[in-house]
Amino acid sequence: MTRNVLQFAGLFVIMVLAQAICSKICLFNIAVPIIFIYFMVRLPINIGVNWMMTIGFFLGLTIDIFNNTQGMNALSCVILATLRRPVFRLYMPREDDIADIIPSIDTLGLGVFFRYMSTLTVIYCTLLFSIQAFTLMNLSLTIQRIIASSILSTILILGFDSLAITHREKRL
Amino acid sequence: MKELLNFLIKHSHWLVFIFYVFTSCYLLFHNNPYQQHVYLTSANAVSSSVYNGISNVTSYFNLRDINEDLQERNALLEMEVINLRNQVNDLRLLTADSTSIPENMSQYEFIVARVISNSISSAHNYITINRGKKDGIRPEMGIVNQNGIVGTVDVVGEHASRVISLLNNNFRLSCKVKGSDSFGSLVWDGKSPYYAMLEEMPRHVKYHRGDTIVTSGYSAVFPEGIIVGTIESDKKEVADNFISLRIKLTTDFTQLSTVRAIKSDIKAELDALIPDKETDKEGLKR
Repeated sequence: MTRNVLQFAGLFVIMVLAQAICSKICLFNIAVPIIFIYFMVRLPINIGVNWMMTIGFFLGLTIDIFNNTQGMNALSCVILATLRRPVFRLYMPREDDIADIIPSIDTLGLGVFFRYMSTLTVIYCTLLFSIQAFTLMNLSLTIQRIIASSILSTILILGFDSLAITHREKRL
Repeated sequence: MKELLNFLIKHSHWLVFIFYVFTSCYLLFHNNPYQQHVYLTSANAVSSSVYNGISNVTSYFNLRDINEDLQERNALLEMEVINLRNQVNDLRLLTADSTSIPENMSQYEFIVARVISNSISSAHNYITINRGKKDGIRPEMGIVNQNGIVGTVDVVGEHASRVISLLNNNFRLSCKVKGSDSFGSLVWDGKSPYYAMLEEMPRHVKYHRGDTIVTSGYSAVFPEGIIVGTIESDKKEVADNFISLRIKLTTDFTQLSTVRAIKSDIKAELDALIPDKETDKEGLKR
C-alpha cells in the first residue's frame, strides 16, 4: 500500500515535469502532446470517486500553474475523473473479477488498454480545447487541435506505458 | 438529522464534484491577469526553478538562428550609429557654441533577461523570464527582443516574472504606420504565431503591403518607434469606418531566448499626469 502510494507520488512528479517539457511542443501549430493524463489512466480502478476527483483537481491545478492556464486543466481533470470508471466498464464489463487493478498493457492486454486509454485521451482533449474555445471562437482550428492532439497524446502515452513495462521486467 | 447526514454521505461525490467544478470555474473566469497571485502562476519559486533547469539545456538549441538575427541587427545598428554620428557632427557645426546638446538623452534603460518558458499554442499565451523583483523588474514593464515587441510584465516573483505575450487575446498594443500618424491597436487573433491583426485603422489612409508598423509611444511602456511588424494584407470591415490590417510580426515567438525589459524613467511622471477619478470628483466639489 505504502509502496503504491510512493510509486504514484513519484509518477505524479515525473508526469508534471514531462508535461512541462511537452507543453513547449506544438507540432504544425496544432498538435500539443498531453501526456500527464497517463497518471489519471494509471490510478487503481477501485479508488473512490471522491479521491479520484481530489487527485485530478490537484494534478490539473499543478499543470495549470506551470502552463499559466488558470483552472482549465483542473476543470477538465475533475470531469475526466468522474468519467474514468464508466469508460472502464464500457470495455471491461466484469469488473468484479479483477478487483484492485492498476490499468496498464500487461494487466488489461493491449486491446482493452488501448481502447480505454484512447477514449480517455479523446475525452480529455475535447474538454480542454472546448474550454479554450470559450475564449477563442475558432471552430475549425479547435476541431483540428482536438484530433491532432488526441492522436499525438495517445501514441506518446502508449510509448510511456511500454517503457514502464520493460522497466518492471528488468527489476524481476 | 440522521437521514440528512446519510443523504449527504451517500451523495458526497456530487458535492465534491460541484465543489471542484466551482473552484476551477472561479479560477478560469476571474481572469484579470494583473491581479493574480504569484503562487498560481509560473513565476513562483518551484516552477521557475524547474523551467530554469529545462532552459539551461534547451536554450542552446536555437543559437544558430539567434546568432544570425543578432548579426543582422548589429549591422543595421552600426549603420544607424554612423549616420547619426554624422548628423550630430553636422548639427554641432551649425549650432552656436552657447547651446549645448545634452549628452545623455535616454529616458529608458534595459534589463536583460532569459526566457525560461514560453507557449504559443493556447489562446492566452504567457512567457516566464528569469528576472524578478530582486533584479528590478516591476509589473507593466515592456519586454522586447532584438527583433521587436515581445509583451509586458504582469506578475512579478522574487527571481522570475510572468510576461503577457503579444500572442494573448488580452494584450492590446497601440501601434502606428511608420512615418504617418494613423494609429490603431494590435491584437492577436489566435491563429498563427507569426501574424496579428492591427485593428481600428482609419479607412481613408492608403496602406501598402510591406509598410513597417511601429509602436506609437502613447503609453510609456514602450518607447515610440520600436518595430512590431510589416503589413501583410488588409481586410475591410463591414459598415465601419475602420479597417483591420494583417501584420506579419518581426518577433519570432517560436524561438525566443534573450529579451530585454524596458525600465522607463518617465513612466511614473506620465502616470501621475493621468488624474485619478476620485480625486477629480473631490476637486470639482471644492
